Amino acid sequence: MVIQLIIGALMIGSVYGLVGLGYGLIYKASGLMSLAQGDMLMIGAFLGLTFYKHLQLPFIVALLLTMLIMFSLGMVIQRVLVTTLLKKGAATVYVILCTISISMVLQNVAMFAWGTNVMQFPPIFKKSVINILGYDLVPENLLALGVAITCMIALHFFMTKSKFGTSMRAAAQDPMAASALGINVPVTRGASWGIACMLAGGIGVVVGPIFGVYMSMGSMIGQKAFAGAVIGGYGNMYGAIVGGLFFGFVETFVSAYLTSNYKDFISFAILILVMIIMPTGLFKEQVME
Amino acid sequence: MLNKIKTNKVASIAILLVAAVVAVMLRERYLALILCFICINSIAVTGLDILFGYTGQVSFGHAGFYAIGAYTSTLLAKNFGLNPLFTIIIGMIVSMIFGIIVAFPAAKLVKHFLSLLTIAFGQMVFMFVSVTDKLTNGYSGILNIPDVSIFGYPIKSNQAYFFFLLIITGLVLLFKRNLINSRVGRAFIAIRENPHAANGIGINVRFYKIVAFAASAMLTGLAGALYAHLVGFISPDTFMATQSNLFMTMLLFGGIATFLGPVIGSAILVVVTELMQSLVSYQMLMYALFILAVLFYLPNGVVGIAKWAKEMLTTKRQGKSRVNTTEYHN
Repeated sequence: MVIQLIIGALMIGSVYGLVGLGYGLIYKASGLMSLAQGDMLMIGAFLGLTFYKHLQLPFIVALLLTMLIMFSLGMVIQRVLVTTLLKKGAATVYVILCTISISMVLQNVAMFAWGTNVMQFPPIFKKSVINILGYDLVPENLLALGVAITCMIALHFFMTKSKFGTSMRAAAQDPMAASALGINVPVTRGASWGIACMLAGGIGVVVGPIFGVYMSMGSMIGQKAFAGAVIGGYGNMYGAIVGGLFFGFVETFVSAYLTSNYKDFISFAILILVMIIMPTGLFKEQVME
Repeated sequence: MLNKIKTNKVASIAILLVAAVVAVMLRERYLALILCFICINSIAVTGLDILFGYTGQVSFGHAGFYAIGAYTSTLLAKNFGLNPLFTIIIGMIVSMIFGIIVAFPAAKLVKHFLSLLTIAFGQMVFMFVSVTDKLTNGYSGILNIPDVSIFGYPIKSNQAYFFFLLIITGLVLLFKRNLINSRVGRAFIAIRENPHAANGIGINVRFYKIVAFAASAMLTGLAGALYAHLVGFISPDTFMATQSNLFMTMLLFGGIATFLGPVIGSAILVVVTELMQSLVSYQMLMYALFILAVLFYLPNGVVGIAKWAKEMLTTKRQGKSRVNTTEYHN
């Protein structure tokens, strides 16, 4: 029982972590906040469903195709909408509002394209339960966990080892100096929004089989991921993962042992408490002026 | 002087036109209900305006205060049989107390984190009212909320309720104007423009932020309580995050930090929402497009357009071209 709970907590926690990581990336690269991450996850799930179920593509192809599309979507949003808005001299709050309206538009688009019903994602594996060391585990959970961990590790190496990742970090640290060194700062900013959306969309495809795919599936996950990112220290990639895992565990164990009705209430209460007591999060990021 | 007389003329014509439209609308029950909704939303959005427009503190969780006002007043009126007029005031005060509680941590945070805190607050209230079955009857909501009665005379019809609301809306707008023109209001505006400079000239930034939250929560709570007694039925659906965004849309569309902006914004949005009743599924898309239109094309909302038109007229006469339409606050 406890092992299953831990696996479940790790799974949902790494989903939160990965989505939250996107918030951190966006914040580091542009000092902005996007509230559309959850809906990116939802769009990703729908795209994955379409590719896998209706176009009969292999799962891995569907996943990669979805991630590619989501990357372009994120890039377009940053390059077209956010940049225009910033050029007009809008304050950060207006960018947040812009992403809120983007999330509403995305939900509506999903509604028109795929309807309002909960859609079943066909199972990816033949067996519904596999037995590892005497424990019955759901393979889809393990897949989600695996994809999340792979993405995190890949992102870590991309950011630290590759040239583009390093230039992204440089641009985030000091845009002026970075552009003086020949780094194309607008492209790195666009890319970080793109990567954030890509991660959210990709994880959407793998959680589709677990939760089912529906229009508002992203809003709660998006908010929890955000909470995780804050607890970890907003803007810190690794903090977002730790924070996401923390919320995964809180949620799973609270609903298993205390109360399932109030699990989200408790999560948000913890978030508010953390913001009061320890606003810089676990990884001591600067949040106040 | 001539200008002033002219503006007064324009204003009085506008008032007469509005009064005529209202008089026609009052002939029908349903149209009177729309007028009531416009008043209620105006009150709530005015509350948001004090916080966001004047003090520069964003809130995406005003549906929470709206819910607190509505549920407090409803529960007291239903379970204890108190006079709704009295419970509405208690709902307002309870909402204000919650505003102060939220403001304590919120006054320290900036931008993103403030947005998140307010979202979290709104979600917590929503979850609380949806899962606490014993108190709030959960998702099924509360039926048969008693009508407001003044000195034993119950206000039953929508038309009568509209006049009741009209008086309250007038008082709220008066309160807002006096607040903004007072020392407190000037402190709010100073904080919006530059918190550090405000601190430098001796304004207690934290204290005034808390005052702004309290005033804002109070008005939105009042609107929630009035809503509950108007419709006679409340359920958590009304208090979802969409409602907070709707308030924000109304405020931005009307024009932030203006006297009439909230009223105009809520009037337009309520009417458009009612006109699109048959296309309920497009509603959210429409709100989103409204927000985007405001963000990209009219940062000062409808009031901004009116001001721009007025400025165009006056500058044409004076031969100057000092027109600045795209100007963002804070």
